[in-house]
Amino acid sequence: MATKLNKRSVVIVGGGLTAALLARQLTAKGTDVLVLERGADRRDAAAAKLPSQRDELRWDIRGGLGQDWSVETYTIRHNPKDESFPTRRLAAFLPGDGLGGAASHWNGFAWRWSEYDPTLRTRLETRYGKQAIPADMPIEDWGITYAEMEPYHHLFEKLYGLSGKAGNIKGALVPGGNPFEAPRRDDYPQPPLEPTEAGLIFKAACEKLGYKPFIAPSGNSSGTYTNPDGMRLGACQYCGHCEKFLCEAQAKATPETLLYPVLFTRPSFELRQRAHVLGIDYDKQAKRATGVRYLDLLTGEEFEQPADVVVLAAFTMTNTRLLLLDGIGAPYDPASGAGVVGKNFCYQTNSAVNVFKKDWWINPFLASGGTGITIDEFNNDNFDHTGLGFLGGAGISANLTNGRPIGNRRMPPGTPRWGTKWKEASAEWYAHSFSMQAQGSSYPHHDNYLDLDPVYRDAFGLPLARMTFDWRENDMKMSEYCTKKIAEIAKATDATIVGPAAPRKSPFDTRFYQSTHVTGGTPMGADPKNSVVSQHLQHWDAQNLFVVGASVYPHNAGYNPTALLGALALRLGDDLTSYVERPRML
Amino acid sequence: MADGEGAKFARRDVLKQIATVAGTAQLAPAAVATAATAAAIGAAQAEPAIAPTSAAPTSVPAPLAGYQSLSLDEAAFVEALVNIMCPADHLTPNGVDCGLAVFMDRQLAGGFGQGERLYMHGPWKKGKPQFGYQLPLTPEQFFKVGLAAANAACRKQLGKSFDALAPAQAEAFLTQLAGGKVVDERVPLGAWFNELVYPLFEQACYADPIYGGNNGKVFWRMIGYPGLPATHQRDIVTYRGKPYPGANDPKSIADFS
Repeated sequence: MATKLNKRSVVIVGGGLTAALLARQLTAKGTDVLVLERGADRRDAAAAKLPSQRDELRWDIRGGLGQDWSVETYTIRHNPKDESFPTRRLAAFLPGDGLGGAASHWNGFAWRWSEYDPTLRTRLETRYGKQAIPADMPIEDWGITYAEMEPYHHLFEKLYGLSGKAGNIKGALVPGGNPFEAPRRDDYPQPPLEPTEAGLIFKAACEKLGYKPFIAPSGNSSGTYTNPDGMRLGACQYCGHCEKFLCEAQAKATPETLLYPVLFTRPSFELRQRAHVLGIDYDKQAKRATGVRYLDLLTGEEFEQPADVVVLAAFTMTNTRLLLLDGIGAPYDPASGAGVVGKNFCYQTNSAVNVFKKDWWINPFLASGGTGITIDEFNNDNFDHTGLGFLGGAGISANLTNGRPIGNRRMPPGTPRWGTKWKEASAEWYAHSFSMQAQGSSYPHHDNYLDLDPVYRDAFGLPLARMTFDWRENDMKMSEYCTKKIAEIAKATDATIVGPAAPRKSPFDTRFYQSTHVTGGTPMGADPKNSVVSQHLQHWDAQNLFVVGASVYPHNAGYNPTALLGALALRLGDDLTSYVERPRML
Repeated sequence: MADGEGAKFARRDVLKQIATVAGTAQLAPAAVATAATAAAIGAAQAEPAIAPTSAAPTSVPAPLAGYQSLSLDEAAFVEALVNIMCPADHLTPNGVDCGLAVFMDRQLAGGFGQGERLYMHGPWKKGKPQFGYQLPLTPEQFFKVGLAAANAACRKQLGKSFDALAPAQAEAFLTQLAGGKVVDERVPLGAWFNELVYPLFEQACYADPIYGGNNGKVFWRMIGYPGLPATHQRDIVTYRGKPYPGANDPKSIADFS
């Protein structure tokens, strides 16, 4: 039997980025906050110290910082009527496991999204007409505006000490920045990172074609920085061990570097590590969450933790799964289109083209996670889609993030896979090649969603989350268009070899890493008919239950999700401060 | 698998290897440092402006002796495999001497081979390739089941164990395996080679030498990967578009331990 603990004011499930930010707002006002995190604080672990930090096999190839699939994985099928299979060692995306979550092992890209993203349906209908959005694409407005979020973006960027170059300050375009950027009140807290050689080659080719390349905003610190809470970032060492790694130099903005240390000093904050949440106690009659149940992974004991307010701040998949496990809200049904939980599950439609030239010295190991030169001309709705037959787009970049040799050796097409010629090609091209990428939007599709698997269970006996997902026609047309654009840029460099342009195609393949940006499942919105949580992230069927994370995104853009998460979490922190004083529908 | 089938390429004899350890061992560079001084050493390393070359060392330390997981017969297959995939040439010694067989053995004996982080609950059924591995076997078990099935197919097709094939025959057989052309009734040999054996081969070549492969950092040297400590705050500017001198003399975890 579970031991019942004393009631707490705000209980947060998951000790990652969003939990830390909203706890920062709440505890500043003295509100009692308890965070339950299934993993541990790893700031002193082998993952965060030299020399063991620089171990590609352990942290990258074997996924040493990620979710343990033997405990909990996801199942996959491509279409609603198919049989599902467990991904026994998922490679496609990498949920975190430990304090900071996936925000600890991120690369560092920290974009504000387009000004029109929160009102995408209105934007597309206004620009292309009511019929422009296909019936099987449930794009919705989010119930918020960019202008409402701007102050929170500003605060997040200051807390995270982002490095970058503004492209649009209060509506005035700034040369060298992103001309498509949403208007900002001022420049980034720190100057941009140093570009790589690959970035400069890409930049020259883009300029030749008339595009406006810029250096992407990043959480890798270009210098030393002290944030408004007095927390410090070291200067980035361009070590090429960012994504899938912890930063030993405290030069990557992460929750455990910048946020949790402040929270640990606040008397109303408590972090409980190795506390694996099993479910939410839900009073259906009263439409209230009464608390959560969790397992102490150190002792095996089960606890019931009553709470005035429960916040789901776990990874995308977990937020959705917890709601489904305890029957909170109506599960989405693709056959009828009814229900909402699990809906609008999106991913990131990526592709790449490799370029080679012998007298380039690319030195891929001199790189940082967020060192990228990008063009935004073909992202989202930054270009006219009339007659193109698809919606959405991609940021196109040369994001050379590392030269780790197991996974990052590019070889020209036709190179044998082993033997002397393979070795010769590895030696010949390792330092003289790079890749240009498209990070593409993923707009929702009627048949892409999450629910509970009817067969497979986790180590605690609970049903796994089941993904029904594939690249649909819109994704593939978008990818084809944007991949052609990369190929044109590749040909505009003086590369002697340009690799094949391979757009993303169905079927979705779980066997290789693509992006950790899975979104949706608990979409936000102004209408309970097509959203799980309100524009204030408050559950429509449980007033004191809130959900925050990329699970609330109704669609995924061609931008990395992190900075917008940060802004939403800070805003939720302020909303909750008010809610705790006076509980109500916000 | 009989030993006396006249192997055309060298199968390392365990006893011989033990006897030659002392003679061939080349000491690792004596760059000893603590984590705290790593940054300073990294900066110092960047000083001499020596142009990198792709010259491989003529000798590397002897690979670790003895297998933890592989039987001698299984080892014969693996040694033959890595010597075909990594022949001795102007770039590296043969696969066995590069430690590739030892690397695979240690991975199979360790957490990875025993199914660490692998979801191992049934029901088990055959899925689309895109859903990944779906067998009720640990990677070590699958490795050995696949090895036996591949060897059986090899004997059936060519009348010899894999380790007894002439290099050209062995090469052709591996190409068939990789192309999914070698078929076993029960064991998916294409996936076995492409999704288990091949990744282990690449990892054996390029992982940090603490895992037993990439002996003497021979593959890092070959491509010019400088390894640790990778504190490149100044290098990113100084060596942008230029040869990086540290690529000549890579450092590994052991060099800082």
